[in-house]
Amino acid sequence: MAQRLIAWIDQRFPLTSFIKRELTDYLTPRNLSYWWNFGFLAGFLLMLQIISGVFLAMHYKPDVNLAFDSVQHIMREVNYGWLIRYLHSTGASAFFVVVYIHMARTLYYGSYRAPRELMWWSGQVLLILLMASAFMGYLLPWGQMSYWGAQVITSLFGATPLIGDEIVLWLRGDFVVGDATLNRFFALHYLVPFFIVGMVIIHLVALHHVKSSNPSGINLADKDNIPFHPYFTAKDLFGLGVFLIIFCGFVFFAPEFFIEAANNIPANPLQTPPHIVPEWYFLPFYTILRAIPDTLGGVVAMGLSILIFAAMPFLDRSRIPGGARFRPFYRAMFYIFMVDVAVLAYVGSQPPGGLTFKIGVAATVIYFAAFLTLPFLSRWEERWLRARGLPPALQALLDSETEPKPRREAR
Amino acid sequence: MAEDEGVDEKRRDFLLTVTGTVGVAGIAAACWPFISSMNPTLDVQTQSNTEVDLSGVAAGATRTVAWRGKPVFVVHRTPQQIAAMAQSAGGKDPAPDQARVQEPQWLVVVGICTHLGCVPNKTEEGWLCPCHGSVFDNSGRVLQGPAPRNLEVPPYHFAATDKIVIG
Amino acid sequence: MSLRMFICFISLLTAQAAWGEGALKDVEIDHSPAALRRGAATVTSVCLPCHSLKYLHYRDLLKLGFSPEEVTGLSMGNKPEAALLALMPPDIGEQTYGRVPPDLSLMAKAREGGPHYTYSLLTGFYQDKTGETNNHLYPSIRMPDILGWSSADAAQRAVLETQANEATAFLVWAADPRAAERKRLGYYTIAYLVLLTGLLYLIKRKVWARLG
Ligand code: FES
Repeated sequence: MAQRLIAWIDQRFPLTSFIKRELTDYLTPRNLSYWWNFGFLAGFLLMLQIISGVFLAMHYKPDVNLAFDSVQHIMREVNYGWLIRYLHSTGASAFFVVVYIHMARTLYYGSYRAPRELMWWSGQVLLILLMASAFMGYLLPWGQMSYWGAQVITSLFGATPLIGDEIVLWLRGDFVVGDATLNRFFALHYLVPFFIVGMVIIHLVALHHVKSSNPSGINLADKDNIPFHPYFTAKDLFGLGVFLIIFCGFVFFAPEFFIEAANNIPANPLQTPPHIVPEWYFLPFYTILRAIPDTLGGVVAMGLSILIFAAMPFLDRSRIPGGARFRPFYRAMFYIFMVDVAVLAYVGSQPPGGLTFKIGVAATVIYFAAFLTLPFLSRWEERWLRARGLPPALQALLDSETEPKPRREAR
Repeated sequence: MAEDEGVDEKRRDFLLTVTGTVGVAGIAAACWPFISSMNPTLDVQTQSNTEVDLSGVAAGATRTVAWRGKPVFVVHRTPQQIAAMAQSAGGKDPAPDQARVQEPQWLVVVGICTHLGCVPNKTEEGWLCPCHGSVFDNSGRVLQGPAPRNLEVPPYHFAATDKIVIG
Repeated sequence: MSLRMFICFISLLTAQAAWGEGALKDVEIDHSPAALRRGAATVTSVCLPCHSLKYLHYRDLLKLGFSPEEVTGLSMGNKPEAALLALMPPDIGEQTYGRVPPDLSLMAKAREGGPHYTYSLLTGFYQDKTGETNNHLYPSIRMPDILGWSSADAAQRAVLETQANEATAFLVWAADPRAAERKRLGYYTIAYLVLLTGLLYLIKRKVWARLG
């Protein structure tokens, strides 16, 4: 019966062949570590956010007079409303944790390199969409942090030359963040996730075309590739289990961990809280914004700090495979960059002040310097490695990959 | 490895069945909060009772009050109406009038047609539903039309001679 | 690598929260059911004249173990489904204190330091040299020293400390009445997930063993 049903479907839709091609016969490098789990986790979180968001939207009211109350209504009166809201609010932070780890893995192992540039760039678009969605979603509870966060960030567009004021007014639909702003943020917060789903499909189609990268950084021989199912379904599901244990620990036992105290005060357009901070996932970029004394300069620097990731395939000019594994200088740089981002995040969480400001400026300089010196460092590092004599294992890897291509002269 | 293969296969199958069952049970359980969130919220479930002051309702008049969002008809029946209702057994869904009232002069019924939920309009003889023409008498019993049951009598009690509490 | 960075970053954040609370009294709040009930009595009689707890209903007090009769007593003639609104109308509050006294439903979550803030505020009153009442935590506060802390002697203060502690415990509950339910469900969920993850680990090991 089931077989006849599948046969009936297969005549009309390539179900079996799709599963075969994309799962049971889809070849995946055997040596993927658990760092390769995070893309799957991001997909899971996207679904969780969409589902919990739809159910929250059934009770939420995007009106300046009702929004805050409706969130409390969800927390107190709706059956399991507290659970659904905490899943959604914790899910937002978890999404960024997972996506940032996913990006860090890509940077560490050099997975952005040819032929995976389009994966990296579609991921970049996903990050920006995710940030937009998170930013708009954060306004919806209509607490003090929500309000002043939106007020500050929309004001940034005022730095646009010539038409800044008009753009800010247009974005808000009001002279300050108001009812019109809240309503449109709600509409867009509901819309953007569907763009994200579309972009994720593009990301996955590209992935299945170029196949997964792997820690060695080269295309593996056939014997080292194994079908995705059952090997990686099992591995990913186990990873999901571990993730869910940690995630539920936050949801059930520390759900307010990611919620600022001031966001439990209803928005008050007449009074700014003494210390406003953005959500933790925006902190490094917020510091870069504040590090530059000029508004326009700050906005441009902040935008560049996100967009510059897209240039990685061009900035990294080394031909040594395996990302940071075989490249001591790149590896050191990677760790410095990670520490630098942590410092930026810490500075962002502090009130603006003399010393923290200086640290923020220094960390901003290091942030951009890491990207801008990469072309020279990566070239020099490759020459240095070759001059020293590559380890035989790496030499073998390198030969197997670079042989078919004409070798370019090192400058 | 080779000699264990049969055993291994079996053990894996068993493991898969157990894990599959546990996993499906977990997914089903995880659905419940979401389904449950669409049920009436706590504040709706614990909505208040409605008090009706009967003193202003003249004989022959009807007052419509809201109880948990639903219309409730409170009818002050005349002696003639009481007598007529006591004699009739109703229509499709026969019920004695005494069983539908606590005090014969006060009829309290939920004003929602048992057919598809419209609010019937008051007539001399009872009610006429505007949607598909069901006819109810002055005891709220259905006489004609598609409505299957009599108008529902809500739970209520007399808090005083001229005051009832619905709910 | 990145994971470690995140953990390190989190600990930085919590450390920062700890420094900010220097002025707060770090007392152990008594969350026992009896303390919560006494706190509810204190808050409804002492705070409710001026402050609302509008997200709470009298019926919610049943969950603290009060009997329906006790709730009727606390509700001062209000229906059980009525919200805990201040007895003083908001405009009178605004005239008297310059602003409407803030709603207390979320007070235990709405200030840095959470419960320690409310406790420290209630027990932070003192009389300055001119004989005016003031507050260490909130200088020139408009709220009166409602517990009479500033004029109490040591023995009286011991009683007031308990009272402030219990009122704080009640406010913590009021800010998150579902916390107990949440934690209970949390234990079941985590236990289930540990079981499921264990099984998934066995499957993963078994499947990968086939590769030899
Ligand atoms: S709804 Fe009243 S007759 Fe159909």
